[in-house]
Amino acid sequence: MSRPVLVRREQVLRGGQPLAFGIGLAVALVVGVLLLVGSGHDPLRVYERMFEASLGDPRAWSVTLNRAVPLGLAGLAVAVAGSMGLWNIGAEGQIMAGAIGAAWVARIGGDWPSPVVITAMLAAAILGGGLLALGPAIARARIGVNEIITTLMLNEVAIRLVQWLIHGRWKDPDSHNFPLAPMLSDNARLPGLFERAHVGVVLAAVVIVLFGVAASRTAWGYELRVAGSSGATARYAGISLERKILTVLVLSGGVAGFAGGIELSGTSDRITENLSNGFGFAGIIVAALALMRPSGVAAVALLFGAVQIGGQSIQTMGVSSSVSTILQALILFGAIAAGVLSRYRVEMVAGDTTGAIR
Amino acid sequence: MIGLLEASVSFGALLYLAALGEMIAEKAGILNLGVEGMIAMGAVTGFAVALQTGNPWVALVAAVAAGALVGLLHGFFTVVLGAEQVVSGLSLTIFGLGLAAYVGRGSVGRPSGAELVPVDWGPLTDIPWAGPVLFAQSPLVYLAVIAGFVTWFVLWRTRLGLAVRAAGESASTADAAGHSVAGIRLAAVAVGGGLAGAAGAYLTLSLTPQWAEGIVAGRGWIAVALVIFGAWHPGRVAVGALLFGLTLALKTRLQTFGVDFSPILLSMLPYVLTVGVLVVISIRSRNRPSPAPAALGIAYRREER
Amino acid sequence: MTEPQQPAATGGSPSDPESGGAPAGEPPAVELLDVWKRFPGVVANAGAHLRVHRGSVHAVLGENGAGKSTLMNVLSGVYRPDEGEVRIDGVAHHFRTPADALAAGVGMVHQEFRLVPSFTVAENVVLGACNRIVRRAAVESAVGALAERFGLATEPDRPVWHLSMGERQRVEILKALWRDARILVLDEPTAVLTPGEADELGAVLRHMADDGRTVIFISHKLHEVTGFCDEATVLRGGETVAASLSVADTDATQLAGLMVGASPLVTDRPPSRDAGEALLEVRGLRCLDDRGLAALDDLDLAVHSGEIVGIAGVAGNGQRELAQAIAGLRSVESGSIHLVGEDRTDATPRQRFADGLGYIPEDRLGVGLAPRLSVTDNAVLRTYGRHRRGPFLDAASATGHCRDLVDRFGVRTGPLEEPIAGLSGGNLQRLLVGRELVGGPRVVVAAQPTRGLDVQGVKAIQDLLVAERDAGAAILMVSEDLDELLTLADRLLVMHAGCIVAEFDPATAERRAIGEAMIGHADVTGDPVAPAETTADR
Repeated sequence: MSRPVLVRREQVLRGGQPLAFGIGLAVALVVGVLLLVGSGHDPLRVYERMFEASLGDPRAWSVTLNRAVPLGLAGLAVAVAGSMGLWNIGAEGQIMAGAIGAAWVARIGGDWPSPVVITAMLAAAILGGGLLALGPAIARARIGVNEIITTLMLNEVAIRLVQWLIHGRWKDPDSHNFPLAPMLSDNARLPGLFERAHVGVVLAAVVIVLFGVAASRTAWGYELRVAGSSGATARYAGISLERKILTVLVLSGGVAGFAGGIELSGTSDRITENLSNGFGFAGIIVAALALMRPSGVAAVALLFGAVQIGGQSIQTMGVSSSVSTILQALILFGAIAAGVLSRYRVEMVAGDTTGAIR
Repeated sequence: MIGLLEASVSFGALLYLAALGEMIAEKAGILNLGVEGMIAMGAVTGFAVALQTGNPWVALVAAVAAGALVGLLHGFFTVVLGAEQVVSGLSLTIFGLGLAAYVGRGSVGRPSGAELVPVDWGPLTDIPWAGPVLFAQSPLVYLAVIAGFVTWFVLWRTRLGLAVRAAGESASTADAAGHSVAGIRLAAVAVGGGLAGAAGAYLTLSLTPQWAEGIVAGRGWIAVALVIFGAWHPGRVAVGALLFGLTLALKTRLQTFGVDFSPILLSMLPYVLTVGVLVVISIRSRNRPSPAPAALGIAYRREER
Repeated sequence: MTEPQQPAATGGSPSDPESGGAPAGEPPAVELLDVWKRFPGVVANAGAHLRVHRGSVHAVLGENGAGKSTLMNVLSGVYRPDEGEVRIDGVAHHFRTPADALAAGVGMVHQEFRLVPSFTVAENVVLGACNRIVRRAAVESAVGALAERFGLATEPDRPVWHLSMGERQRVEILKALWRDARILVLDEPTAVLTPGEADELGAVLRHMADDGRTVIFISHKLHEVTGFCDEATVLRGGETVAASLSVADTDATQLAGLMVGASPLVTDRPPSRDAGEALLEVRGLRCLDDRGLAALDDLDLAVHSGEIVGIAGVAGNGQRELAQAIAGLRSVESGSIHLVGEDRTDATPRQRFADGLGYIPEDRLGVGLAPRLSVTDNAVLRTYGRHRRGPFLDAASATGHCRDLVDRFGVRTGPLEEPIAGLSGGNLQRLLVGRELVGGPRVVVAAQPTRGLDVQGVKAIQDLLVAERDAGAAILMVSEDLDELLTLADRLLVMHAGCIVAEFDPATAERRAIGEAMIGHADVTGDPVAPAETTADR
């Protein structure tokens, strides 16, 4: 009696991951059709509208690019940590922490010239995100505390911190029943780029490229690769694992914080408790699909941005926004399954060879 | 005050159901970050079936089944395909929340008409203090207590439980002893999802009892925290559940007690405490095994041993 | 197929009733007949056979690579033989899994324990073999009773992580007994035990044999063989060279000779040169292994410029730890390590490399090379600092260095940016060795440098090491292959139980004497045998 078994391939299938990604997308679209038909909509018209609204014309592109910024930066944050085998699940909170830092600077810099305010805001954002990640980083580097849980928990802490600020000290006196933070003053807003897009798009692109270069061309990136490959090899090569873990996790937090600063200053007009809007978690999906490589993060983030913006736009057609959420998850499922097949192949094994190991 | 305690037990039971499910999955070695989505699926399924059938018990069963199915999906990705447990779990949270919102889109704010009314214990409810707090709760609260006992018994007093714990501590040892690690983990994560589904049903059939998109409100993450806070033991998790339930209940009641402390800051407490507990566990684990299942989060493949 | 060789002048034919064991006429409890087992590139068992009578304690003796572990794995169902038969109590069996073997009554205790540290003794013993409902008290008392019956003192309710190695081993034995194993196979059981624990184990094994069970164990320690066993079978080169020798009637020298063989060596020895100053010195080194047991025990050695010093010994006597300690990857409890005259006991691996130490680790792909990184990345693992331009790594310079390495050392690879995981073992090793030697090190520590390589690969690595020696380096070579050491080494040291017990001149040494040193043959007072040859050319 034979049964199927997954056997590791000697060579990973070339081009496996982009193909897996494509398969995931196809699977998602197909299932999406079912969902749409199920809710009484015409799938083709819906998809058409999604495409138009996200990638159809320069204005659509500008909105999509704006959305791709936090997705891409969060994805980068997770990918940077992920290349060393560390999981930063706290991007959601680090984005918030970055926004808090930026908002604070904006509040005290009401009459500073715009470039100064914005630069200070973004710097504070990076600091905020990095600080939130510092605790988990030290805990992991020194004691070996699992960073998945510590970063996850701090998400909730950071979100509540924002809530507390908005309900308390930062409450706009004009908002009575529903506490809101005051809007950002004009000098604290990122200048526009084209159509609806803001300069943050360029900033994010620069950061992603920077990290891509650093990972592949610098000594630091090299050490990261070695440390991510095997701890024993790293020791052999004289690389301090503790220092690497610390710097990588804090840096990861800083990148996520940066995303928060840009999102605040560019897209949102005030700090809200929904600012991070699931970007942190989506970033994990983005990074996973990009195989933890900065080079892939931009492309995946763009696609997810398109799906999200498209999803928003079809609400006016009466389609629930949840459809786009489901699509994003489905893309990942399809990609997981396809990705496995690029590393393993299915073999039928005779039932009696269980346990016959070398 | 009685209201506070009653609410603590109420909320605590909800958290306990979800946390128990997460604990079972983790005991077998699977980290399930999809709890939030599984609760949502249970909530919406329970609500929808209650609406359709008017029978809350059937709705409860359906909710458990829905949660179990999502759990099985997580198991498929992680155990069969060997995907990263973190990624699979998170994407199932996103999926579960999205699908639940989709299914429930037409029913926001409506009553289902079929609720799980609190159990009537008769004269017991007249006991001062303990009466209303303990004996006027929804049947799911008592179910949660029973589930806790059953879990403890199975895990520590049966052959199955021994196998489950072995799979979570040392998969190769469980394998060598003749157990199917894959089978155990799939079953554990399905049960975990089912319990999360029950927690969701509690929300829409008892607690609120309505459906709304944000109804889960992060309680899945609290459940994950709770398992660690309770050091993977059903009894300690129960204590933690009551504690965390208390903080949830206090949120809206602080004012009435005249305490001038921000309820928002209070709600940070469970998470901060959990981090603290984890740090302590890790420090103490230098010389002794950690209470965390040793194989948690690590995929097992026999060929690569 | 070899006939079982009986050394002349000894008695002890296997079915001699006087040699103890089962009454004549009863089939042997275990018979392995004409077992062949092949793996890619190596024949592990070539017609090996074994015969063990019920109620006896039987040792399986042999050098590294003689095929003892493979044969025992065939018996316990882990491997399936390509040819040959397994008979239990005269009945032929075809085991497909270890569970089948267990059902036939064969229980194996591996060197690496399969225990759950946080479970109690009782929970570990009954895992997979208990009732639906586990009544804790009943189970614990049942396990306790079983333990007492066999003299395996243990507390069933203690968590296993509390236990010492010896106690954990008892739990492993209990696991087999709980499943009613009539035949117990132990793989180097005393490797993890202190001498006192080893004696206790010996008593337990004797107890089980007296109970009518059959005990087989793999060993390379002479005093265990003579102390615990009734009979011994010796394997060499995958074959059985002596079967069921009565231990009482055989002496240590004979056993050692059977183990290593007495054939004269075909040596094409590269001419050795005069050795110079001592470039590597180790003094009084004490070290612990990964489990916290003593691995090196007051070890001294010196390696001079222009010589290759070989370390022989059965695996598990501290050779690994010695190499790691010299390389800086294992901390030292006491003693000192000197490189080129300087005390470097506390130096990091990087500092030692800068001092001129090349290290070829035993663990090719886990330590020495990173399998997921590219060829270039691996080539500059030790020297990447030299390719820095500010924060950047000069890719051209690194690639150039890599290409240079690949050309000089004949590494056959694909594109240099590809991960090295696809390279053959020989090429991986060429890359590793080349990387360590390319800078002209003054001291080289090579741990199992030719393990697992094909003939060409072996020759290539050996030539590289000899060339380095001729250029004046001091080379310490640890190898399981005695022939290799006898061919290449200028001096041969034998390690046993964490220290150097003997020194030989490879040109004139007798294999038998080396074998005796390897199994720890001591004279009556317990001192190591004096080196058989001390006039090494200096």
